[in-house]
Amino acid sequence: MLLVPGAVGLWLVTGGRALPASTARTVALVAAGVGGLAAITATVMRPVVDRAWIPDLGVRWHFEVDGVSAPLVVLTAVIGVLVVAHAWVERPWADAPGSGSAATYLGCLLLVVAGAFAAFAARDAVLFFLAFEVVLLPMWVLIGRYGDPHSARARADASARFILYTAVGSTLMLVGILLLVTRAGTADLGELPAAAATLGTGEQALVALLLTIGLAVKVPVFPLHTWLPAAHTTAPTAGSVLLAAVLLKLGTYGLVRLPLANVPDGFSRIAPVLAIAGVIGILWGGLICLVERDLKRLIAFSSVAHMGFVVLGLASGTETGVQAALIGNIAHGVISALLFVIVGGLKHRWGSVDLAVVRPALREVSPRLGFALILGLAAGLGLPGLAGFWGELVALLAAWNPAQHTGILRTCAVIAAVGAALAAAYSLRVARIVWVGERVADDAREAAVAQTPDARSVELGVMALLGAAVVVIGVAPWVVFSVTADAVTALVGGGR
Amino acid sequence: MTLDIQWALLLPALLPVAAMVLVLLVDAVAPRTRLAAPVLGALGLLGGAVAAVPGLVATEPRLTLCTPAPDGRCMWDGSPLASTLQLGALLATLAVLALVSVRRVGVVEVVLLLASVSGAAAVVAARDLGTWLVTLELATLPVIALVAWRERRAAAHGALTLLTTSLVSFGLLVLGTALWVTATGDPTLTGSSLAAAWEVSEQRTLAGLATVVLLAGLAFKLSAVPFHAWTPTTLTSGPLPVSALLASASKLAAVGALVVVLAPYESVLGGRPGPHVVVAALVVLVVASMLVGTVMALRQTEVVRLLAWSTVAQAGWILLPLTALTVAGRQAAAAYAVVYAVASLVAFAAVRAVHGWRVEDGRNLTAYRGLLRRDPVAGGTLALALLVLAGLPPGVIGLVAKVVALRPAVSAGLWPVAVVAVVAAVLGIAVYVRWFAVLFGEPETGAPARPRRRRASVAVAVVGAAVLVVTSVLPQLLVGLVS
Repeated sequence: MLLVPGAVGLWLVTGGRALPASTARTVALVAAGVGGLAAITATVMRPVVDRAWIPDLGVRWHFEVDGVSAPLVVLTAVIGVLVVAHAWVERPWADAPGSGSAATYLGCLLLVVAGAFAAFAARDAVLFFLAFEVVLLPMWVLIGRYGDPHSARARADASARFILYTAVGSTLMLVGILLLVTRAGTADLGELPAAAATLGTGEQALVALLLTIGLAVKVPVFPLHTWLPAAHTTAPTAGSVLLAAVLLKLGTYGLVRLPLANVPDGFSRIAPVLAIAGVIGILWGGLICLVERDLKRLIAFSSVAHMGFVVLGLASGTETGVQAALIGNIAHGVISALLFVIVGGLKHRWGSVDLAVVRPALREVSPRLGFALILGLAAGLGLPGLAGFWGELVALLAAWNPAQHTGILRTCAVIAAVGAALAAAYSLRVARIVWVGERVADDAREAAVAQTPDARSVELGVMALLGAAVVVIGVAPWVVFSVTADAVTALVGGGR
Repeated sequence: MTLDIQWALLLPALLPVAAMVLVLLVDAVAPRTRLAAPVLGALGLLGGAVAAVPGLVATEPRLTLCTPAPDGRCMWDGSPLASTLQLGALLATLAVLALVSVRRVGVVEVVLLLASVSGAAAVVAARDLGTWLVTLELATLPVIALVAWRERRAAAHGALTLLTTSLVSFGLLVLGTALWVTATGDPTLTGSSLAAAWEVSEQRTLAGLATVVLLAGLAFKLSAVPFHAWTPTTLTSGPLPVSALLASASKLAAVGALVVVLAPYESVLGGRPGPHVVVAALVVLVVASMLVGTVMALRQTEVVRLLAWSTVAQAGWILLPLTALTVAGRQAAAAYAVVYAVASLVAFAAVRAVHGWRVEDGRNLTAYRGLLRRDPVAGGTLALALLVLAGLPPGVIGLVAKVVALRPAVSAGLWPVAVVAVVAAVLGIAVYVRWFAVLFGEPETGAPARPRRRRASVAVAVVGAAVLVVTSVLPQLLVGLVS
């Protein structure tokens, strides 16, 4: 599961650089497919790999999939295959003359996927950190090398911001992990909660603070989110999808796995601050979305708002809250992946996605793209029956009945509900501008139809699969809930 | 007085000396055999390295040069930690010998290299102040001559800077040694005599002062801020292989010397680091080196100057675990120093492979644009070395080394230092990724041609990179060595 995408990715980046694009694509797709299948098998069979790696540091190769990570592993597997398949639609290596080869691009995609698998499956705190770092460099290459071909300066800025912000976060997390591990005497995530219970309250709070700040950069939680819009705007479509659907999940998954599970008392102390930051993120993201002109940036800010709900669920500290966070995670992964595929496709066709430019209605020009866009937006605003609904509703419920700090969290829940209304407002704004469009002359429409061919073959397949996932999770959320329930009970109950 | 001597334990330091004598003899008898000196030198270095290997896996103490019982004191300890540093210094010097092109290497260079490495191999195992002081200077002084030897005017300037620095450092070390003997009444660096001195308050003050003065003297050799001023000047003006030597073998010798001085503190503190003067001095060195080194490196465009400032920053990382004053901290410092030495050797070798032996001109970052595609071997090894120095996967060993270095400081509860280390780590990523991005960029048409005759540099870079790759996959190989 880890080996295939990792090894093939590494080979493509180093040895296979001279491969022609078509061969590289096939090899990468096979690797992603095999890795994905292995990952899905692993979520069903639940095998355990446990080997000593650095005995002197107490670090082990310990991989195991459990209820909390299973949905994320499946999500990563599916997204991994989709982003590689998307290379048939958008070819970032061919857009800018003289930029890197196809093999390097695909290899980086595979490396990110492999790193994410490793992080989700790691059962050792230090190993989790190492896997967390693995994704940094390939993602930096994807943004800096294959990003928006229009502006080299923007690419350099976005990629540098991405790597530095994330490095700050992960190094702080490392200090937190080291403190936790040296004090508790074990790095095994299974044994840590019991071992960490002996820590004093001051130490617990300190560890929780370090871990939470570190991971909050990755999530991202307001006010540490400023790297995200730049990274999303410049990254190639597949990069944006990976970033939104997989990398951000590493942050929330880490929050569940490390501070919440291991130092619950410390975490509950800083929970109100986290909740407030999450709510500010919801409002801030929503307000910016109301005025933002660049569609890609808009979706990036809506990500900040959605992750605000996830963080709010986590901050409640209850079982329901964690469940909400996990399903919100999965839902956001699918929805944002869908939206980024569509918007990336539009940007590719139009050259820019400035909402101020008058364009004919998307529903007339390319109805399939238009439908997918409406589906994604509706799911994003939390329409019942679609994926986004459950995460937000349950998060609000959990925040209304929290474990501690009832007053603060209830206020937060009320404000977050207002934020959900903002989401409706900006989603409809986008729908009006892009989907309904403006009345234009007939000849201009003809030109637009020629310029905007509808989605076909691979692109259509990618969108259809993501759209189907949005509907399935929306109609039948228990698919996810039932997988995570036991593990969450163990996590939240075990630490107390 | 009779000394109990086990010659096998002394071999890592003695074999280079023997090779040095042989080189001089051969030169006196047959001055025209040009290959004899480098071959004999390489054999001596290899022999020393092989002799250091048994110490890596030894479990029982390997003490020698002991005075007779009852109060026998030993002046030499071939512990695994010392053996690792000896092995590192010997192999690093071998790599430097390979970097000095075989055609151009003279008898003098080989002799100076051998003298320096025998000093380095001895100082890390020394347990008494006399041996320690003499061998530490033996490790330093030949390098000054190497900087100036057969080079142009700028190199003489660099050598002069280094010489002045070394004299100041030597003065401080002698003062520190004298204070130490006054405080403890014992010329060997043992825990029990320091613990006895620690009980009396005047003696404690004196012992603390002695350690701080010794630290200052060693900080010159480690190029830790504020004793770093010679580093950028000397490294950029001297010949590149000697700069590589200063950044690798000399650094290992200095770390070994520091570890020897700090070892007795174990028995004084019993694992509890108190807020006392030695820790404070170390913390100041760590914080200043990390921040100043990284920030200055961020501004450089000349690659060797960049590497020089990065040496300053990495000195802070090497000192970081020592602030805990524990066994784990000393082992971590040695492990970090070895990783750093290998990575910087690879970087210097790759720089030399890019520029050829006339490397003093045009060593600008712009000359590296697109190197990964123009010249995959030099570019790839350099990229790996930079990632290891930055601590980013796939350079996993660099990341593991940072984890190893942070751990003792965190477990000793030295918060402010750990937070500064976080800032420095992130700034460091900015430093190395800046260069990495240039390597990764698009090649220009007017790029300088590859130099001919660079097999040795490429070989050093490739072997070093192989070491980095293997230890990245199995970090235990390296982390396990020192413990």
